Amino acid sequence: MSSPSVRRTPLPVALLVALAWLFPGLGHALLGRRQRALVFAGVVVVGFAVGLACQGELILPKSGDPLSYFAAVATIGNGILFLLAKLLALGQGIPTATTYEYGNAFLLTAGIMNLLLMLDTYDIAVGKKDW
Amino acid sequence: MADHFTLMTLHALLLAVFFSFLWKKDAAERRRYLIKVFLILLGGAVALGWLMYPFPRPS
Repeated sequence: MSSPSVRRTPLPVALLVALAWLFPGLGHALLGRRQRALVFAGVVVVGFAVGLACQGELILPKSGDPLSYFAAVATIGNGILFLLAKLLALGQGIPTATTYEYGNAFLLTAGIMNLLLMLDTYDIAVGKKDW
Repeated sequence: MADHFTLMTLHALLLAVFFSFLWKKDAAERRRYLIKVFLILLGGAVALGWLMYPFPRPS
């Protein structure tokens, strides 16, 4: 296993990680990983869009429901997609819809994938990963 | 959009693509990993569905 090495990044690492959260794949794109950035952006955006189309809910913390806090972390992990959807009043969720649970699964996994992309961006930026 | 199997297949595909690009560097290795993860997710869900079949469902 190679030890982390110092590498030049176009922006401070914290800002890169923040931008990686803001838009899926942006961190990778700024670090020159264009192909992977495109794939990651596609996967997260498609997952999020399908989640909304399936009447999924953008879950935020609810009092008396401790699990909603975990779900909220995943939801907010969607970055600008979450902010835009909230702005447009999307993702209210229709629990009686047949695809509601599927919608939630897509929205939550899209957010978790984006959170993983933040970690991957960090690893690349600090030199723990060289590709 | 209401077809559960289609949605499950799409979900499995998205996850397989994501993790193959996240964890594998080499294109051939990536392709093998993608197919493996996709089939495990899809086959596992179908197998789990069959295992759950004998259990009573709420009416």
